[in-house]
Amino acid sequence: MSENLYTNKAMMEQLDEFLLEVQKPSRYIGGEHGAVIKNKCKVDIRFAFCFPDTYEIGMSHLGMKILYGLKNAVPNYWCERVFMPLPDMEEQMRARNIPLYALESLDPIKDFDFIGFTLQYEMSFTNILEMLDLAGVPVLAKDRTGLTPIVMAGGPCVCNPEPLADFIDFFAIGEGEEMNLEFMRLMEQCKKEGATRQEFLRRAAQIEGIYVPSLYDVDYNLDGTVKSITPKDGAPATVRKRIIKDFDKVYAPENFVVPFTQIVHDRAVIEVLRGCIRGCRFCQAGFIYRPYREKQKDTILHNLKALCENTGYDEVSLSSLSTGDYKDIVGLLTELTDYTSAEKINLSLPSLRIDRFSDEVLKKITDVRKSGLTFAPEGGTQRIRDVINKNVTEKNVMDSVRIAFEGGYTNIKLYFMMGLPTETMEDVEGVYNMAKAVIEEFYATPNHAKGRPGVAVSLSTFIPKPFTPFEFEPQLDEAGVKERQAHLKSINNDRKIVISWSKYDLSLIEAVLARGDRRLGKAIYLAWQKGCKLDGWDEYFKFDKWIEAIKECGLAPAFYANRRRPYDEVAPWSHIDMLVSREFLIEENKRAHEGVTTPNCREKCSNCGVAKCVGGEICRAIR
Amino acid sequence: MPSVNTRAFFSKTGRAKYISHLDLSSVVIRAMKRTRLPIWQTEGFNPRTYVTFMLPLSLGQEGLHEAMDFRLIEDVPYSEVREKLNAALPPDIQVTEITVPRDKNTDITAARYHIISSADPEKLRQLCEKEQINVEKRTKKGSTIVDLKPLMTDVEQQGEELFVTLPAGNTFNINPSLIFEAYSAEYGEPVKRLRIIRTNIYSGDREFE
Repeated sequence: MSENLYTNKAMMEQLDEFLLEVQKPSRYIGGEHGAVIKNKCKVDIRFAFCFPDTYEIGMSHLGMKILYGLKNAVPNYWCERVFMPLPDMEEQMRARNIPLYALESLDPIKDFDFIGFTLQYEMSFTNILEMLDLAGVPVLAKDRTGLTPIVMAGGPCVCNPEPLADFIDFFAIGEGEEMNLEFMRLMEQCKKEGATRQEFLRRAAQIEGIYVPSLYDVDYNLDGTVKSITPKDGAPATVRKRIIKDFDKVYAPENFVVPFTQIVHDRAVIEVLRGCIRGCRFCQAGFIYRPYREKQKDTILHNLKALCENTGYDEVSLSSLSTGDYKDIVGLLTELTDYTSAEKINLSLPSLRIDRFSDEVLKKITDVRKSGLTFAPEGGTQRIRDVINKNVTEKNVMDSVRIAFEGGYTNIKLYFMMGLPTETMEDVEGVYNMAKAVIEEFYATPNHAKGRPGVAVSLSTFIPKPFTPFEFEPQLDEAGVKERQAHLKSINNDRKIVISWSKYDLSLIEAVLARGDRRLGKAIYLAWQKGCKLDGWDEYFKFDKWIEAIKECGLAPAFYANRRRPYDEVAPWSHIDMLVSREFLIEENKRAHEGVTTPNCREKCSNCGVAKCVGGEICRAIR
Repeated sequence: MPSVNTRAFFSKTGRAKYISHLDLSSVVIRAMKRTRLPIWQTEGFNPRTYVTFMLPLSLGQEGLHEAMDFRLIEDVPYSEVREKLNAALPPDIQVTEITVPRDKNTDITAARYHIISSADPEKLRQLCEKEQINVEKRTKKGSTIVDLKPLMTDVEQQGEELFVTLPAGNTFNINPSLIFEAYSAEYGEPVKRLRIIRTNIYSGDREFE
């Protein structure tokens, strides 16, 4: 047990004093199989990888596992995990003056070189402040002085980093596999040279994909919109996101940290493709992760075998935005199931599009517990599905549910959005009509399973996101949402259909933050001071405090959420280049209002701008 | 070859003391899968590696001689089984010995504990020497008052360390933390630091085998 020599004994003893008093203590102690322990005397750069949510959620996240493995593969770099403690733990830590520590060494993260956050979701922003504060690190970037720790952030939300500009020293825009090692090398150099924090940041800004917010001045018009964004100290005028060109060869972890306690997705996960060919107009991931790239079958199989053998998981899922779009999906599943069946491993495919759901695919999924399946038509009528470019027909949906019913399923979950651009009450009723049609399809399927069918309809409020054709759109206001909900409730007289919706309050704040500017930093700070944290959790979300905070800064939620933005307005994120051109987004927005669909990347290139930036060969390979 | 019942004695110390009894089985099963050892799985639709644990260890307590049973479906040298398991297990759970089981889990009668606490040594000694040590024992069915005195055997105290043997097993089990509950009740002060290590398990007057 020589590994224990490298962990912080004093911290361990302190934790031992109270850890039994908190819920599920094993998530606060590390020591799991696969956790990387290094001799810190031989480590030059220490990185605290912070997931601003609970252990159960963060440990389920593939991106963290990739970057954890990648950084730890460098002998003199040590990357450790940090999660957001729940209030019972946090209370104990604060009462005992225990600073936030990393799970591998149990060392306080304030002594690390980097404190890195992954931004998966706007509603985790206050957790970043809470974690920095708990770590004993000044929350505001301007109050941090020495070379280290540098606070950085990556992940999908950094495509609009502005609301967090006050707190984060630099953002890593785009895919992190190469960039992470580059800025860690820069730090290695800066430490040797005795460089200052400012010097490090100035040099970091020269790395492609790195955005240092303090090197940009933002001016506003009288109406509150952004007037200009001006770089200084040699920082680039636009920061272009990074992508991995040879995706098949990119680092893929062959081992995971296997948790002691149940987490949300407790299984091996294999990334099969990145990006999406579809271009659904509401979907931020569909645009910011372009271009579409696949891994080769052999690479996937090799990765899957290694991961299952090294972790001992008997469940593995294929991860991507739309696994069914893999060119040779049936061939891939055949190869994978040859292995998984022999090893008694359960293979699951979480992201299957309705129109790619075939009998053949279903047979390959060795999911033995046939309880329920989820489909996402997103809109209730063909008209609205054309507006959002979902390119799924009612027939596609019915074909899929029939296959599911024939396969023994009885329960179907349907996902929709409410408040989509151009939406009418007819579209809302379409949601109910589709649910009803699914029930009818069950009875019309001759060999359906015994038992009562059920359809769970889940509606979320549409949130316009940057870098989508809907970034110009207003979010539906509260009255509109309530009216639609009441209408749906009143027409549902079928007990086999259960309709539920997400909270409006939460989606409003999410909408504000998603398209916010730098001035919101003050509001986030105030909201946090008023006790907002764990905002993504219903039981902790404090809507009133958020509204108070935004208003105290002299800002209005409606300005950010419910306003139609003209095409020529300077977006707060206009200095960030996600490769998809603004002209394309405007064009797509116009087509949405005309109800005209756009073919997917495999059918035809629609000139989104990505091919021009990355060279055409990646995009040509799609077709 | 028919499957052969096999017993592993293992330690669960350090960080692993925070793994609950419920989570322990999935931690061990995944480790077994990683070894690729020929360990028997249940038949049926959802095959599962079959492991049983002899005596649950309370969350937060450590164990130096814990026992679990599984079945080997091929002949593998015990030294190899032990080495492979240890390489696959988390560092704070390690197998010390592989044996052929002699006793059943229902044969367990007692366990020995090594306890290091912040209790005042003199007060603890006085407590242990009392005629009666009554304390409330809570079970699923409710609570009863138990006199610990006749149940504590081979008591040894060295400063802040206490060694004691207590009844253990599926039918009647005494958690050593009860001694310190009695201490708190007696002196009106909580015991802030308490480290409990189960060092051995007994079947009657000999070691559980």
